[in-house]
Amino acid sequence: MEIIKTIELTRMFGDFIANNQIDLTVEENEIKAIVGENGAGKSTLMNMLYGLLKPTAGEIYIRGEVVHFDSPNDAIKKGIGMVHQHFKLVPSLTIYENVILGIEVERKIKLGKYSFSLPSIDHKYEAKAIQDLIDRFQFGLKSTDIVKNLSIGAKQKVEILKMLYRNVDIVIFDEPTAVLTPQEIKAFFVTLKELKKQGKSIILITHKLQEVMEVSDSVTVIKQGKVIGNRVTKETSDKELARMMVGREVLLNVEKKYQDYSKNEIVYEIKDLTTYNHDGIKVVNGISFHLRKGEILGIAGVEGNGQSELLDLLTGLSQSISGKIIFNGIDITNKWPDEMRTQKIGFIPEDRYEQGLCLDMSIAENMIAGHHGKKEVCKHGLLLTQKINEKRDRLIKSNDIRVSDCEGNVSSLSGGNAQKIILAREFDANPELLIAAQPTRGVDIGAIEYIHKSLLNLQAQGKSILLISSELSEIMSLADRIAVIYKGQIIGEVNGINASREEIGLLMAGICERKPENEVR
Amino acid sequence: MKYDKQALKQSGFKILSMIIPVLIAFAIGAIVILFAKENPLKIYFILFDRSFFRIQGLLKTLHYAGPLILAGLAIALSFKAGLFNMGIEGQIISAGFVVAVLGYLWQSLPSIVLIPLLLIIGTLVGVIVAILPAILKARYNVNEMVVTLLLNYAIIQVLEYLTSNVFRDPSSGYVSTNMIGQSAIMTRLFGSKLTMFFFVVVVVFVIFYYIFNRSKLGYEITAMGKNRFFAEATGMRIQRKIMIIMLTSGALAGLAGAGWMLSEKFSYTLDFSGTPGLGWDGMLIALLGSHSPIGILVAGIFYAILKTGSSNIAIFTNVPAEIIVLLQALIVLFLSLKMIIKAASKRASKRKEKN
Repeated sequence: MEIIKTIELTRMFGDFIANNQIDLTVEENEIKAIVGENGAGKSTLMNMLYGLLKPTAGEIYIRGEVVHFDSPNDAIKKGIGMVHQHFKLVPSLTIYENVILGIEVERKIKLGKYSFSLPSIDHKYEAKAIQDLIDRFQFGLKSTDIVKNLSIGAKQKVEILKMLYRNVDIVIFDEPTAVLTPQEIKAFFVTLKELKKQGKSIILITHKLQEVMEVSDSVTVIKQGKVIGNRVTKETSDKELARMMVGREVLLNVEKKYQDYSKNEIVYEIKDLTTYNHDGIKVVNGISFHLRKGEILGIAGVEGNGQSELLDLLTGLSQSISGKIIFNGIDITNKWPDEMRTQKIGFIPEDRYEQGLCLDMSIAENMIAGHHGKKEVCKHGLLLTQKINEKRDRLIKSNDIRVSDCEGNVSSLSGGNAQKIILAREFDANPELLIAAQPTRGVDIGAIEYIHKSLLNLQAQGKSILLISSELSEIMSLADRIAVIYKGQIIGEVNGINASREEIGLLMAGICERKPENEVR
Repeated sequence: MKYDKQALKQSGFKILSMIIPVLIAFAIGAIVILFAKENPLKIYFILFDRSFFRIQGLLKTLHYAGPLILAGLAIALSFKAGLFNMGIEGQIISAGFVVAVLGYLWQSLPSIVLIPLLLIIGTLVGVIVAILPAILKARYNVNEMVVTLLLNYAIIQVLEYLTSNVFRDPSSGYVSTNMIGQSAIMTRLFGSKLTMFFFVVVVVFVIFYYIFNRSKLGYEITAMGKNRFFAEATGMRIQRKIMIIMLTSGALAGLAGAGWMLSEKFSYTLDFSGTPGLGWDGMLIALLGSHSPIGILVAGIFYAILKTGSSNIAIFTNVPAEIIVLLQALIVLFLSLKMIIKAASKRASKRKEKN
């Protein structure tokens, strides 16, 4: 039976059509995956189903009945719940308090046949009710545990419990695996299957096709606000889904030739780097690693383990309290970003729109940023407009950047094309070392393929690359060596060629059986 | 330079956003004039005819526009970089005061030496006053808006004390410094109020036009103003730029104050900079001109027309000169309305992007 059906559901923002006549059908008790590139309209669609947005046109049917949601509360009443990518939990409260928050159970007094509610909370009853729920779905949690002590995976379970306690039968998950380690992802799939077994229907929004293949029953592909196609998971492949998402054949994994770089000279060396954040917490705690000529070193890790702070140190945006950064024999510790650039270090920053680009400036202006003092574009302190425009046209062409208006601002470009501008800018400066952080975050599959190829291309020219990414598959397909960062420390290192997801996953979770081995130099 | 659609659209928007608040202000002003039983069209005709379309009036207008344009540039320079130097007023009067005192003490020097010297000293005074907030901002990230704004009042008080005690001209019937020497006074040209100072302003304007639009520094200022993190990450040294921008802004203000002293006021009085003050006028001019040099030039001249025109209105009609103050206030009001609309539309487009 169809539990959710939308007919020609449309949502517009001004002139922009985010969802264009979407017909979506979710069968009862299935795991439905909705895939599409960033900006394809997945979130808009889900927000309409969950009552956060109102459709411009079209109808939503739940169990064959037309519904109009004014708020998520209406959706929950109709049995639709959503687990957001970013958890909304109170860290200092227990699991059961978080779950019951907003619908607390009051203590009751019975006097004969009358019963009165007291203005105090019945903690005992609440804790037991939630524990029963936990046991029923085999979540393996204790309802009286404090949320801040839980792992990410467990926190996600608490989010799910919130929905289950409110008796929803349809749970929408928005990119649920983005913050999980590989082991936690596996556990999450077990949870999903358990939910299904107990009769729930599940909608999974994701862009990780592997996961879709592993766990879903059927798939709907959305592209540019339209449904491109529906498939039964068993009868499709990740290749076909990728093709549907992008509209052309794509390589999901670039081919990489592994080489032995251990004889090459060391070009970049980090020794015992340490820094504190604003709260006085040691966020980078004695990190050491080195990078040889022509090598790609990947730094894997769950987000928030010090990657951003490490990156700030490496790019000259913050200062270390101890330790050294040595590049080609020169000490560049705590140097300014422009000094790092003159040393021929290129940067692809983590946050594209914050640090990498200026949205309100033109494409040309963005393409010279960081190199705008160079002779090719600047003479006697004046910028050479014509030379800059020539450079822009050359880079647009050579990097296949799709722009509707080459005089326009960067804000008019898609994520992938915006990232290509950064790539073009940094590659054009011919760096000896490229520090690439989350280079493919939020870009579409087609652009991922391009970016990965460009990185390997750069490596083939004998340049070194430091790749910091929370996307494990990216690191595994590109890096020659993989170091894992956990709580501000490099907890272990594995070789790229024979690395296994499990091994890295354990390290990402902070479990290391052996002492981090120091690679012989 | 090649003009494309986007740039045309942008400059079109800029021109419109300049004209619309002015038109609305004039429309409302017309209603008030009708209450005074005068013909608004006649009043506005007198305003522009006598201050802009007659040569003497035009020269007078340009004379008044000089310091206003400098003040506008000083504001625009810092605002464009996302810094808020609200201390223009304090920098202007400090420079004016120092120049007044030195212009009196050094009057034995010949004009050819003294005037350039005093203009340079005035510029330096502006820089010196700007140093404290600049260092606080660049080094300790202290909010420059608060520091510069409050510093104005401190400066006003100090100068009031100095003028009414230490440097007071005892022969003057009101609080004033000694009048600067004859050799420090800039000669009037073409039998009008205009002095060489206006040409100094023109040269400075041309330099800043290039700095804003073509230079590496201008590029970095724009980048800083639009996205500080981006500027920082791409190696534009923010702290150094903050110093440069704040000090240059102070220098422009100092020059404006020195010029105003040597070409118009000749002695420092407590109302040296007028009401509301050249610095605050400069802020309005920068806003009206959308922080672009050409816009500031036009806005500065327009503002000077209002200033010179107000006396003509008082002389030739029954409408009080205060009508001009009303117009100014209305322009400010509708300019801020424009900014609200702009912010709202920006938020709307951002929301669109998000989804």
